Amino acid sequence: MPQNALLNAVGLVAVLRADDRDVRVLDGISIALAAGTLTDITGPSGCGKTTLLRALAWLLPGATGTLSLDGVPARTIGAQQWRSSVALLPQRPAIISGSVADNLRLPWTLKVRHAQHPPTEQRLREALESVGLDDVGLDRDAARLSVGQQARVALLRVLLTEPRVLLLDEPDAALDEASSQAVAVLLRDFARRGGAVARVRHHPPDGLASCRVSLAGGCITLLAEEVQP
Amino acid sequence: MSAAVGGVIAIGPLQLALATVFVVFVGVLSIRLSLGITRDLALATVRTYIQLGVLGFVLRWVFAVDSPWLVLGLVLLMVIVAARILVKRSPDAPPGVFASAALSMGLTGFIVTFAVTGVIVRVEPWYLPQYVIPLAGMVIGNSMNGIALSIERVFADLDRREGEVLALTALGATPWEAAHPAIRDALRAGLIPTINSMAAAGIVFIPGMMSGQILAGADPVTATGYQIVVMLMVAAATAMGSVIALLLTYRRRFSADGVYLEKGFRTDAE
Repeated sequence: MPQNALLNAVGLVAVLRADDRDVRVLDGISIALAAGTLTDITGPSGCGKTTLLRALAWLLPGATGTLSLDGVPARTIGAQQWRSSVALLPQRPAIISGSVADNLRLPWTLKVRHAQHPPTEQRLREALESVGLDDVGLDRDAARLSVGQQARVALLRVLLTEPRVLLLDEPDAALDEASSQAVAVLLRDFARRGGAVARVRHHPPDGLASCRVSLAGGCITLLAEEVQP
Repeated sequence: MSAAVGGVIAIGPLQLALATVFVVFVGVLSIRLSLGITRDLALATVRTYIQLGVLGFVLRWVFAVDSPWLVLGLVLLMVIVAARILVKRSPDAPPGVFASAALSMGLTGFIVTFAVTGVIVRVEPWYLPQYVIPLAGMVIGNSMNGIALSIERVFADLDRREGEVLALTALGATPWEAAHPAIRDALRAGLIPTINSMAAAGIVFIPGMMSGQILAGADPVTATGYQIVVMLMVAAATAMGSVIALLLTYRRRFSADGVYLEKGFRTDAE
């Protein structure tokens, strides 16, 4: 596990109900995500990868264990503030009704960011260009974008909030090769700026991850630790 | 045949029987066309006879006794029965909705009814059952429909939008912020029937209370005044009741940490 953890999780336990029986999906998992690293989480379908991301984002009802960010316990930080620093991007992009700009500025309509200024139009356009959405206008109806375009808008929406940790659930599942590459560059830059990334992924390694772990039977196994991206 | 009592033509057993002929005709039609509503129609007709028949005698007794406690007790009974009906009509709602529904209907029912009878109509004494009971019935009955629509809609909508709710919560939204789009739509759904009814009143149909007063021999202009008061009162009660009920209930679908409880995370039986 990386040292100098930015996000530290100890003893995560999650018991979910499936087919009328309780399943211990996370069985006392501990994981640390260091600044400047990208961790790939692999494992068979249904093994609990999404559950783990939700537990790390403090978005899993009933989960137990301790979470801390830069050594500060999550309880001290508070749920809403934790989630704005440890940002989860769910697998299915949730696009609200309205324009692309409305979607990208959605986080600044929330109380947790009431003291911050939303990004300028120029900043939003640059963000769209960075993921190959140059041809998508800010006033385009977001509901009419393709699934791949919506996935990138949802990713940008999270990235623009400048979280400390990014938790991504199959971010390139709906993307073509070129878009995947563009997203990979964004994630690499995010890590280089001192962020930590955990990414659930089914694709073969893309050389971006500094660490790969596997989840099975509620436990986590370190597969490989690679050179910094 | 027909006898006028105090300006009203009284309906006797023969007239009631003649009115039932229409329902019998529909029943025969249902059997011939295999509509499958004969039993329900028969049951509803019998219930109408019994319930309204009993109501007539009960009201006659209440008017004769003339007690404020009896009037308040009857209004409270209306609230409790309405809350029970509302819970049955909201299968997606979490446990504990009964208390919230009863509280919201009780508050709006008592406040709006007594504000109208005390401040606008100025009845003497303040509990005059001839005014308080019919007005309370209209307020509670209509707000029950609005609240039931709102509650049913908000919880079904939250389930349908659970991906959006999760994304908003993941961005740092509070439960109120995450549920707000569903709450807004639910309130709109609860109020639309009342607003439609207000828009069509006097053009498409003559509202119930006004029709009743005209049939009872009242001057149509006087009846109009009462009807306007009733319609505004019903709109206010429906809106207030729906807002209070939604504010009291939506949080039950979120954990203490502010996470929406998807079906797999609920402890209540679905």
